Amino acid sequence: MGPGDLEKILSKLPVETSPRLLSRIDQGEDAGVFLLKDNLAIVQTLDFFPPMVDDPFTFGEIAAANALSDIYAMGATPVTAMNIVGFPCSLDMEILEEILKGGCGKVHEAGAVMLGGHTVDDEEPKYGLSVTGTIDPVDIKTVGGALERDIIVLTKPIGTGILTTSIKAEFITESEIADAIESMRTLNRKASEILFSHDVHACTDVTGFGLIGHLHDILKAGGVSCELWAGKVPLFEHTLEMASMGMMPGGLYRNRKFIGHWETRGEDVDPLLLECLYDPQTSGGLLAALPRKGAQDTLEELRKGPCPEAQAIGVITKGPEPFVTIQQECATQ
Amino acid sequence: MKTPDIDARGLECPGPVLETKKMLSQTDGRFTVLVDNEAARDNVSRFAVSSGCTVDMDEVDGCFLLAVTPGKTAARPKSEKTAPAARNREKIIFVSSDELGQGDGELGETLMKSFLYACTENDDTPSKFVFMNAGVKLVTVNEDTIEHLQDLEEKDVELLVCGTCLDFYGLKENLRVGRISNMYEIQSALIGADVLICL
Repeated sequence: MGPGDLEKILSKLPVETSPRLLSRIDQGEDAGVFLLKDNLAIVQTLDFFPPMVDDPFTFGEIAAANALSDIYAMGATPVTAMNIVGFPCSLDMEILEEILKGGCGKVHEAGAVMLGGHTVDDEEPKYGLSVTGTIDPVDIKTVGGALERDIIVLTKPIGTGILTTSIKAEFITESEIADAIESMRTLNRKASEILFSHDVHACTDVTGFGLIGHLHDILKAGGVSCELWAGKVPLFEHTLEMASMGMMPGGLYRNRKFIGHWETRGEDVDPLLLECLYDPQTSGGLLAALPRKGAQDTLEELRKGPCPEAQAIGVITKGPEPFVTIQQECATQ
Repeated sequence: MKTPDIDARGLECPGPVLETKKMLSQTDGRFTVLVDNEAARDNVSRFAVSSGCTVDMDEVDGCFLLAVTPGKTAARPKSEKTAPAARNREKIIFVSSDELGQGDGELGETLMKSFLYACTENDDTPSKFVFMNAGVKLVTVNEDTIEHLQDLEEKDVELLVCGTCLDFYGLKENLRVGRISNMYEIQSALIGADVLICL
């Protein structure tokens, strides 16, 4: 669902007040955190969706990597997972087997244990995971905490929403977007290990609300604004080309409608590129606000390691209103 | 309101674009598309413009009516899968003798010379020549053929000359046209050829 509709409904639900609840649902937090004892909290999340690629094993891997991502965005360690499956009984059961094998492989790669799951008959296949992680409460990385002058770092390129729409329309083949598929099935594990071995003020992962949507969560939670350098944002190959041919997913417009009024932009910003910044992502990268000092070293380490396309894409500016000022290139550094 | 040619209301993206694409492949004339949301409106307009059409838009009862006029030189939408970039076919002529055909030597030399001249006159030039064995004499000591081959080289035809063969005939110092190559390059050029002509 789009962020607007969801927020309306959530606001009508009772607010949980347990003193052991360490996360706040209304702040766009990636996962729920609940304190079990002094130095141990559990981090819980779930995510599932319909296939965006043809190969069932790859779909399983992508859905699992996407669900696990919320745990990594909080700096926690995944420990257990459960399958969530919707599947038409009329379809070949081997397809389901492949999906589950793909998901299970990713759970094991994450060092977690697959406990089981639940399956319902559905018109269209859907797959995802419920994941539980653990963390010492002092180590929790939340979406809040960004400070003025922090550097905003993104660990994976964006464009998966536009590219998977193009696959659906058969405007492009899966082999032509192999790098985006590889990125979607890559865990954010190593990226989070590197990020959190350094000082990080705020962190989230980029998924359905798009780069600007999730960036806006960081701004809102931290009471800050930011300057975003559109030309620095890494895009997967063919993203702009497909966008220019009308391959924008509906979710992109919903995201822009909801957050767009917080946006101001320079005249030189490429309008097509601007749209891509709202593209909903599947299994996107981590988005973090790092203190300026040391940010370059962290970025280098990410690039040499698991995230060759990691990029500094902007800077946190004075709040308190969460404005996103978009410029084509960095003007202030 | 006149009935639109395509009623794409209620369709999720990329549905409206796909309907537009289908229509564009069937007609050269103007047609209308009715959509019920901004996403579909923008996507259909972008697609139509990227396919060389012009688009006029009207807002009707919260829906958008797009009139698409294919351009005269409208780039036809790509076929179902994106077509691979057109590649020039690799046409190679393999020359292993300084004479054309087997028979009288003098006749063979004359035929070779006029064949190479004919190549210079044809706009459909080969992409490469490969010279081996006695064929290397054509790029070293035969003044008549050297001239034609220089013309071909100017037309971006690549001339590969076997280095071992030049050594064998003691002609390495006499190379006048083309470049020295080795068996690996020659072998993979021959294997990769779309058209291979052996003289």
